[in-house]
Amino acid sequence: MNLRQFTLNRKLALLAVALGTLALLAQPHRGPFVKLDSRELAAVVEAEVDHVTAPELAAWIVEGRADYRLIDLRTAEEYAAYHIPTAENVPLTGLADYPLLRNEKIVLYSVGGIHSAQAWMLLRAQGYEAVYFVLGGFDAWQDEVLFPTLPADADAQARAQFERAAQVAKFFGGEARIGVAPEAGQAAAATAPAVASELPKLTAPPPMPGPATPVAKKKKKEGC
Amino acid sequence: MMTPLYKYGFFGEEFSLLVAFALGLGFGFFLERAGFGSARKLAAQFYLYDMSVFKVMFSAIVTAMLGVTYLGWIGVLDLDLVYLVPTHLGPQVVGGLVLGVGFVVGGYCPGTSVAALATGRIDAMIYALGIFAGTFAYAEVYPAIKGFVNANPMGQVTLPEVFGLPWGLLVFAVVLIAVVGFWGATKIERWVGSRS
Repeated sequence: MNLRQFTLNRKLALLAVALGTLALLAQPHRGPFVKLDSRELAAVVEAEVDHVTAPELAAWIVEGRADYRLIDLRTAEEYAAYHIPTAENVPLTGLADYPLLRNEKIVLYSVGGIHSAQAWMLLRAQGYEAVYFVLGGFDAWQDEVLFPTLPADADAQARAQFERAAQVAKFFGGEARIGVAPEAGQAAAATAPAVASELPKLTAPPPMPGPATPVAKKKKKEGC
Repeated sequence: MMTPLYKYGFFGEEFSLLVAFALGLGFGFFLERAGFGSARKLAAQFYLYDMSVFKVMFSAIVTAMLGVTYLGWIGVLDLDLVYLVPTHLGPQVVGGLVLGVGFVVGGYCPGTSVAALATGRIDAMIYALGIFAGTFAYAEVYPAIKGFVNANPMGQVTLPEVFGLPWGLLVFAVVLIAVVGFWGATKIERWVGSRS
């Protein structure tokens, strides 16, 4: 085929088609700058659909749900000492390059919840739609899931809830506590560091072997 | 070096005006070169016997799109920083129709009228007066139609975002639409030309 038989217009059209075909492989370069819809984010925060509570997350893990990615933003040492089952350790500065998909459900937690809320904002600004943080962070996980406490003056409904929470705590290798009066509760808070040192050991049979096992269980059921 | 140059602070406000002036001169020059300084040429588009407007404008779109695509791909241009006019679908459809009617009646679009004005065409001068009158009239009625002008805001959206398609696929599709469009436009020109 001789190119000379084509007019200039046809050559240009051919060039455009060639460049357009090559562009099928193109990936837009993303710099560190982002744009965010400030009204949308404000509405999401106002509606309180930007977070999950620690007991909700615990229920997901107990159910063996595998439709979310749990990201631990604490240091590698803290992660190695103990982390919520199924969590992946990613530092805040490494989040931008971490392989997460924009259509995945992403749950973030940090020690107290501030870093995870900031990471939530960064991910939302980068176009991740389904991002949540654990309300109260790892502290809430300790206080509400691992070591739930029943106040001495609790009513029947609170006691029933506590029974369930105690079972969940046992599942994760923690321990429920009963019977501190509201006044004494403050004193108990002072001994909180002691509680932290009793975190379940990860080396022991893992409290929850991750989402892979429930899937296997389901398969077994299908086999029966 | 990273672009957009202005947003990254490579030059200031005054120099950006000089750049805009140079770009404007280039734009006007090529409009005139394409024959768009003549209302006859532009009106011919709407009677389908000369599809130059379609061909020139779509060529410009494809050229700019491929340039931006490759600059964005190799990391010279940060596409997230390129300003996009926010989309308001309903009001912009109406605005497009108003502009189209003005285009047919006046024989120019705003850009080509300025190019024609520069070459001293009297009809373009009348058209320019119309632009000023229209601008003042719009400013006067704006408070009354403010709600409609700002209706259904979609923000700064792009086609890949709206359709959920890969960026490269859309670039490829637009090139194909253009090439098929050029082929079809030439067919139409010949068909209409043979009838008259």
